[in-house]
Amino acid sequence: MNEEKKIIHYDALVVGGGIAGGEAALNLANTGYRVLLVEKERSLGGKMILLSKVFPSLDCSACITTPKVSEIARHKNITIFTESEVTAIDKRSENDFVAQITKKPRYVHVEDCTACQLCEQACPVSVRDEYQEGLIGRKAAFIPFSIANPKAAAIDIENCTLCGACEKVCPTNCIDFTMEPEQFELHARTVVMATGFKLFDPLEIPRYGYGQHKNVITSMQMEREIAPTRPFNTILRPGDGKVPDKIAYVLCAGSRDASVGNPICSQICCMYSIKQAQLLMGALPMADVTIYYINIRSFGKGFEEFYQQAKGMGVSFVKGKIGTISEKENGNLILRYEDISEGVVKEAEHDMVVLSVGVKSNPDAGKIFPQGTLKLDPQRFVAQTDLMGSPAKTSIDGVFVAGTAAAPMDIPDSILSAGSASSEAISYIKQHQEA
Amino acid sequence: MKERIGVYICHCGGNISDYVDVEKVRQAVEHETGVAMAKTTVFACSDANQNDMVEDIHTHNLDGVIVASCSPKLHLTTFRNVTERGDLNKYTYVHTNIREQASWAHSDDKEGATDKAIRLVKAAIAKSRYAEPLHPNLFEAEKSIAVIGAGIAGMKAAAALADKGTEVLLIEKEHRVGGHTATWGPLAMSEESGSALSERIYNDLLQRENVTIMTGTEVITSKGSIGNFTLKVRKRPLKEGDPVETAEFTVGSVVVATGFDSYQPKEGEFGFAQSDNVITLPDFRHLIDHAEGKELIYKGRKIRNIAYIYCVGSRQTNGENTYCSRFCCTSAIHASILAKKRFRKISNYHLNRGIRTYGKQELLYAESLELGDLYLQWAEETPPAVVTEGKKTTITLRDILSANRELELEADLVVLVTGMVPRADNKVGTLFKLPKGRDHFFNEVHMKLRPVETVIDGVTIAGSCQGPKNITESVNSALSAATKSYSLISKGTLETEPIVAEVNSDTCSWCGKCAEACPFDAILQQEVGGKMVAAVNNSVCKGCGMCTPVCPPDAINLINYSSEEIMSMIDALV
Repeated sequence: MNEEKKIIHYDALVVGGGIAGGEAALNLANTGYRVLLVEKERSLGGKMILLSKVFPSLDCSACITTPKVSEIARHKNITIFTESEVTAIDKRSENDFVAQITKKPRYVHVEDCTACQLCEQACPVSVRDEYQEGLIGRKAAFIPFSIANPKAAAIDIENCTLCGACEKVCPTNCIDFTMEPEQFELHARTVVMATGFKLFDPLEIPRYGYGQHKNVITSMQMEREIAPTRPFNTILRPGDGKVPDKIAYVLCAGSRDASVGNPICSQICCMYSIKQAQLLMGALPMADVTIYYINIRSFGKGFEEFYQQAKGMGVSFVKGKIGTISEKENGNLILRYEDISEGVVKEAEHDMVVLSVGVKSNPDAGKIFPQGTLKLDPQRFVAQTDLMGSPAKTSIDGVFVAGTAAAPMDIPDSILSAGSASSEAISYIKQHQEA
Repeated sequence: MKERIGVYICHCGGNISDYVDVEKVRQAVEHETGVAMAKTTVFACSDANQNDMVEDIHTHNLDGVIVASCSPKLHLTTFRNVTERGDLNKYTYVHTNIREQASWAHSDDKEGATDKAIRLVKAAIAKSRYAEPLHPNLFEAEKSIAVIGAGIAGMKAAAALADKGTEVLLIEKEHRVGGHTATWGPLAMSEESGSALSERIYNDLLQRENVTIMTGTEVITSKGSIGNFTLKVRKRPLKEGDPVETAEFTVGSVVVATGFDSYQPKEGEFGFAQSDNVITLPDFRHLIDHAEGKELIYKGRKIRNIAYIYCVGSRQTNGENTYCSRFCCTSAIHASILAKKRFRKISNYHLNRGIRTYGKQELLYAESLELGDLYLQWAEETPPAVVTEGKKTTITLRDILSANRELELEADLVVLVTGMVPRADNKVGTLFKLPKGRDHFFNEVHMKLRPVETVIDGVTIAGSCQGPKNITESVNSALSAATKSYSLISKGTLETEPIVAEVNSDTCSWCGKCAEACPFDAILQQEVGGKMVAAVNNSVCKGCGMCTPVCPPDAINLINYSSEEIMSMIDALV
């Protein structure tokens, strides 16, 4: 470990480089403030950069995210730390925050890497590709994904066998196993928390058989299957590689369900499921898509019309919560549910099931501050202490919350929430500025 | 004449390449006159490709750049900036759309889509060869901003703008601030009443010296454009006989926060206006906010059974308002909980179309269920029938939740859960020519990339004038609009597009046809050399080209779209 701690100064610290953090950083930077944007993953763009298309406009998600990310990466007032973690933030007084940041080694000098992928070909280690939701494998020396930013190789040191094959083939000698973690002490005047959300882990509902039944996947896995940077060139069910023709969506998988500790609604699953259903109807014209739901919550601008459009395209909507999912020998799945409109318990067979998993809080946000000072709500989202008057305010003056760190929300709402947080951060800095 | 043009053909990660053979397009254009290199790329807009483009401009010594990809609405600016980073004039960049216009439009005909894409790219090459360097028009921008509407959104936007250091004019039509919220009692998801929240935000706003609040004031005219809007306002007298005052102000940008109207049911809609027992949700909230004692009394009668009919004026698939108003489920459930907790023996029946208490608002729904409220669900095709005979009101409906059984219930009071509709008074919208969406609320440029901007440069939209929102969402939108409006003018100088109409005063003899055709009022009459001719206000002209074909002597041209360029493009296309 490199023990020497570097002291750095910025006007604002933004924790999290997803769409909300990026938007907040851009707003601050465009107003003339110097921003340090800290992202713990290997790329900016959060979850949005990995999506297929976005509702209700069906814009390609990458087409919106990548140029935004590029603007952030290039902004003269923004410095980016990827693969870095904010381990502690201490507020000394107004406009005086001190943050401890650890920048983990990538074992690749990003500025020299040309993303030629020769290291990837040379690397003998294959592991699960987390950016493709485990649908395929990747190497231990790898480019995270094709539209990652920075687009540079990284070494997954946990899985690396230190064989040195990558180093030998690298034409620019940018691989460097001697890199060590770097420690920074950041002094900033304000903090924006944009730590995002976690997807609900479907293993918590064993009766849905995720992880047991091969053709039960999550909505994020389906998102990857239909994304432009998809792992296969078509939609396949993972059990046997068959192209599915009777696909079921199980809504509220882990949402509105106190039995799994998540009584709230995740706000996005109805719409992304309807979007995926529309895309599937386009990609697999012969396939049947059925969405099993409790209530369809298409509440945003143009959402209800998008829902009606899906109905018009022939997506089936069945009101009924799925009780259990069992697997047949051929890999097909039997869904048992109460058909509410008929008041009877039914069974239906599908050849692929998508669990529309919900939004859970990212508990990391609370851990960064001295115990209990950054208050969380009962669902462990960052508590909004003035929800109506100043939605970005938290229990600590000068610390603001943006996007899904505060509550489940869709992309447009995350962006507006980021606009709100950055505006409050500017007001706060100005208010406490020494004359 | 450009002789070293670089052409990039984008896969758009399959959006284009699934239907257009991009490699075939590349081969078809690489030997066109003026083309120095042609490449395909998976995502032209990605950072990695942008860097490659800058490098190509230098290494291949390019003098023109073309990207064939998506709509210029999405990425014209992106690639102009790349061109500029490659040290070329950014207005020499030519964008061509082979996604919306080729791959998406002809997904049933791959060969046809490819052929069309080839023609589009060839036309772009023809245009690129003529492209001349241009320079943006520079203007001084006023550093003050007007906010129209002093509801919660307007007041929050004004405060945020003032904090950033600009002068703010907050203009409110009513004689008081706070909009709808100021009239509300307890709010869902909050410990505070609407009136207290409004008061708090207003008092906070008063702390700022650089905000001028004008109530009872309407904007009657607006002239000019981004950087310099001249607004004429009229103050309505408080009492009759007082003089009507008018004043003029110049501002650099405008935040429109004019809010919403509550849907007014038509006579007979679920018995509205035909029975004393049928009221709207805002009226019901007013009733419980102001009721005294342990009994809920309406028109002299004790209320016990309350039926709430949801989606009145919203989600009308075949009606006027197809959209969901998003706040009403939560608001109605919250009101029903208040009523049940405060008054004796209240039974609530929620006749809904699927409850939409999204996010944490779900907890209110759960609370209502625990209190024993009954939820019945109807389908749009079979709406509940409300019949009043004498003092008795009966509702019949087919309930989806009990296997479509027909149910009948008696209600002492029927609450129509009405949604949000756009303001009937659209004066402000008309004044600034703000476009509206399918839902007739003001429309943003792009829901994700530019959610608070309108196509009218310098005018942003905040709060529920853009679409239904709850208070939290309105405040977020207001602060975003404030940030955007501020960033537009904060530098003091403004750049606008150089692609505007240009009048040849020698051949122009002012017939006024161009001014009639102009949707932006950018063309004025002016005297030049002793005769009247047309003159274009560069800061208002959007370069739409509506004026050019109507000119009888062909005296008006669009810069960058000369007849020469257009003809060469047409030659390449056909």
